[in-house]
Amino acid sequence: MRLLLSVLAALALAVGAAQAQTIRILMETVPDTRYIQELLPQFEEETGIDVEIEAISYIDMHSKLVPQLIAPEGSYDLIVVDFYWVGEFTKAGWLMPLDDLVERDGVDVDVYVPKLMDLVGRVDGVLYMLPFYNYSMALIYRQDLIDDADEQAAFQEAYGMELRVPQTWDEYWKQVEFFTRDTDGDGNRDFYGTVIQGQRGDCISMQWANYLYSQGGLYHDENWNPLLDTPEAIRAMEYYREAVENYSPAGSEAYCFDEAFNVMAQGRAYSFVTFNILYAGFEDPESSEVAGKVGITPNPGGGLNGGWGWAIPNSSPNKEAAWTFMKWAESAAVAKERAMLGGAPTQAQIFTDPDVMAARPYYPILGEILAGTKDFPVFTYTTEFVEQVGLELNLAATGEKPVAEAMAAAQEKLHALLVKDGKIEE
Amino acid sequence: MSQTSRFLVPLEGFRARLDVEEEMTANIRGAMRKRGRWRFLSWLLPHSILVVFSAVILLPLLWLLRVALTDKSTAYKIPPEWGQANFDNFIEIFTGYPFFSYFLNSATVAFGATVFALPLAVGLAYAFARYNTGGLSLRLFVLSSQMLPPVILVLPLFTLFLKASLINTLPGLILAHMTLSLPFLAWLLVAFFDGEVAILEQAARTDGATRFQALVRITLPVAAPGILAAGLLAFLLSWNEFLYALILSGPHTNTLPVGLSSFQTHRGVDIALLSAATICAILPAIVLLPFLRRYLIKGLSLGALK
Amino acid sequence: MSVATAGGLTLAGRDRRFGLLLTAPGLLALILVITFPLFFTLFTSVHDYTLLTPNYDTFVGLENYQEALDEEYLPDSLWVTTKFVLASVVIEFIIGFAVALSLHATRRFQSIYYLILLAPLLINPVVVGLLWRMLLHSELGIVNYAIGLVGISPVSWLGDADVAFWTVVLTDIWHQVSFMAILLVAGLAALPREPYEAARMDGASTISCFIHITLPLMRPVIAVAILLRLIFAIKTFDIVFIMTKGGPGTATDLISYYIYRAAFFGLDIGRASAMAAGLLVIILALTVYLYRYMNSLK
Repeated sequence: MRLLLSVLAALALAVGAAQAQTIRILMETVPDTRYIQELLPQFEEETGIDVEIEAISYIDMHSKLVPQLIAPEGSYDLIVVDFYWVGEFTKAGWLMPLDDLVERDGVDVDVYVPKLMDLVGRVDGVLYMLPFYNYSMALIYRQDLIDDADEQAAFQEAYGMELRVPQTWDEYWKQVEFFTRDTDGDGNRDFYGTVIQGQRGDCISMQWANYLYSQGGLYHDENWNPLLDTPEAIRAMEYYREAVENYSPAGSEAYCFDEAFNVMAQGRAYSFVTFNILYAGFEDPESSEVAGKVGITPNPGGGLNGGWGWAIPNSSPNKEAAWTFMKWAESAAVAKERAMLGGAPTQAQIFTDPDVMAARPYYPILGEILAGTKDFPVFTYTTEFVEQVGLELNLAATGEKPVAEAMAAAQEKLHALLVKDGKIEE
Repeated sequence: MSQTSRFLVPLEGFRARLDVEEEMTANIRGAMRKRGRWRFLSWLLPHSILVVFSAVILLPLLWLLRVALTDKSTAYKIPPEWGQANFDNFIEIFTGYPFFSYFLNSATVAFGATVFALPLAVGLAYAFARYNTGGLSLRLFVLSSQMLPPVILVLPLFTLFLKASLINTLPGLILAHMTLSLPFLAWLLVAFFDGEVAILEQAARTDGATRFQALVRITLPVAAPGILAAGLLAFLLSWNEFLYALILSGPHTNTLPVGLSSFQTHRGVDIALLSAATICAILPAIVLLPFLRRYLIKGLSLGALK
Repeated sequence: MSVATAGGLTLAGRDRRFGLLLTAPGLLALILVITFPLFFTLFTSVHDYTLLTPNYDTFVGLENYQEALDEEYLPDSLWVTTKFVLASVVIEFIIGFAVALSLHATRRFQSIYYLILLAPLLINPVVVGLLWRMLLHSELGIVNYAIGLVGISPVSWLGDADVAFWTVVLTDIWHQVSFMAILLVAGLAALPREPYEAARMDGASTISCFIHITLPLMRPVIAVAILLRLIFAIKTFDIVFIMTKGGPGTATDLISYYIYRAAFFGLDIGRASAMAAGLLVIILALTVYLYRYMNSLK
């Protein structure tokens, strides 16, 4: 009992004493957060400000953030915001506009890739965030199989075309079919052309977006009229369903990216449409059997744009110090150091910086991937939309609902949410 | 005869009665020994059930241990390859993560919530059992908060705690977990205060003990092991609680469930680190288990869950 | 020491006063931290309270309730939850009782059995979900590999709607069955021995002892164990949140995850509160029924 009380007292003291010169940051657990932590001593030395980073899982971030943001004064000075929440957070007025600070301190925000600035930077012309890292989606594939002379010959014979890094969806799909095999001859396929991450909700919503773009489809037109029951969208879902049935492991309609990653990492699949940040995992022998054998390229037709941005919440107790930190973390030097460690860059010049390229030769491709991405609908109810459309997609992927019916339902859901948000008329 | 020892007389009588029962049971066993086939069956059946049950519980945990001793790539190899076991993951969770602080926070909160909730729950349960205070409606009220999904309760609790400066403090989390364990404990303890104890207590009252004396000197000692047992279950409730801990805590007060959840990253699940951390979280408790078991089983048996 | 009535209070009156005195501290604590959220839930459920406009400016009456009832997938969720609660509590009870009876009948290795029994309760549900997701991976899971060794073809544990439901139920059972077993074994240990001895003298069989003595005497314990487990089961959240996100389709979409989505993804606290209030009424009715049933057996 006495021990308990002294522990409580000690912690209370520690919290109290530290408050004066400390800023607190809520971040998600990704390598980029660790890189920031590694570089922290620099900042603390330069400014005398102590930094406390709390890193929690991305799946818990939203629940953790919302009560903090509603509060008049929260516990966090600086947060990172997923693009999902940008519409919601700005609509609710939870984020502090940064334009005045940028102007006052002459910070150059043109260094960022414009795509990311639009996604996790400016909203309706107001700057709320600085892009922190990007997780745009791409096609990860087995370079060693493409380079294999026997495979090349067999592919040439079967399809009358060259086996190479796929440039078009049609070409990619032929490769997916070609590589799906029964390697041990027991009558069941055990090597897969692609891996689906078809779990209901976020996982399928993210991956399917790439299928939609591959067919030239979009979520909505310039006037926010939803386009999910168009022939492109239906064709995208048919491809997805085909993959679930024929080219991806049985049960992959319940995978999220971790399960799918492991299938590919164990050398059991040719390709995987997923977040570019997973590429580093494939190259790491601790988590992958195929290190050195994988390549990364833009999804044919364009991949999904994704990213997180730094933001100062209006409930931040210490906005000025938070801004000082944000400026430091996004300064050219620190941004470069983070990229050298393996971080996912957001500033255009980093992708092709000679030092970065020497350490990470594939970074120019990441820049190319990012340049070709397309945006998910970002509005007040994006999170809700991800859930609702994710359910309909999953119903179609598992075959519980006919594709056209599911897409009609998805269209209806998006329409209703856009009306609710005032983006379109009833 | 002093007052105290007078109160103990019924208790001793009770214990004496148990001894007699023990003797009688032994006689019965003696009689059964003659029925060899029955004896073999009565030995075989329970052990078979328990062995199967234990295997189902234990095998996944052994796999967890195996994963903790390897890396993610080896963990997912099929057919399984054992590889070289190493303790890298165990080292990393202590050096690269505030794992020890998670553990300490969890232990403090679970212990604090249980220790503070127990006396309150004893009061509630005793009044319910002996005097039917408040009737069914009060008992339902006590339990009603447990019938709402935590996600609904946590927002108002956050607002309340914010006003009281309890966010990101261990006392705040202890208080929040008490709201979970108090109703649970009260309902469970009612059972411990019914039955045999009531008869003993009545005897003490007839001998001139006040209500308070009867409670403190008869009921509590007899039910004490049972109270400890209920406390263990309440401790586990708090130990595993996630949503309150996530939303009401901060960098200094994060508990194990929040810490463990953070191994699900945007680059995949750090399954090897997670396994190592989970093993570390279970092990200290396992060392305590034989001790707890004594109280748990003895406790629940005397408390008479009737 | 006198037990005679004094100060104008009857014996019953003094009992009542002592009862109130004992309940007061606990009730005070509960009122502080429970009444407020409870009141908040009911009050919010009749207002247009969203995370974007967290205020009580717009009273909407029962509109939130109506909206919730109109939702396409709410009936699915209620049905899945009902099935889940029934399946998990009934199976946990059967297994828990079998284990409790076995533990009660053994002396050897008891410590080891208890250790193993308690182990799952020490693991938090998030880890339980992640652990089983790994073990049940359709392609790389050890379970499919093991059943493959004995010639069973791989099962899509989480990908097939019917199988996924049972996978979630069984995972929950793996985690929670010990809770039931511990309460039941304690109940068994507390049974008086006289009735058994008398029955043995009369030559009653083990099975007849179980049906005519054990079951009736255990009824109150069983009721408490089932009631508490039932309430916890209805609130099951982490396992589906970690393992399935309610899928495939709506096969594992438990109500607490449904309400969680309405609150944190739909941002509509008013509607989520209305659903929670509805759930509260259902569980209260269930509890009253079980409680009355329990008392009728005394």
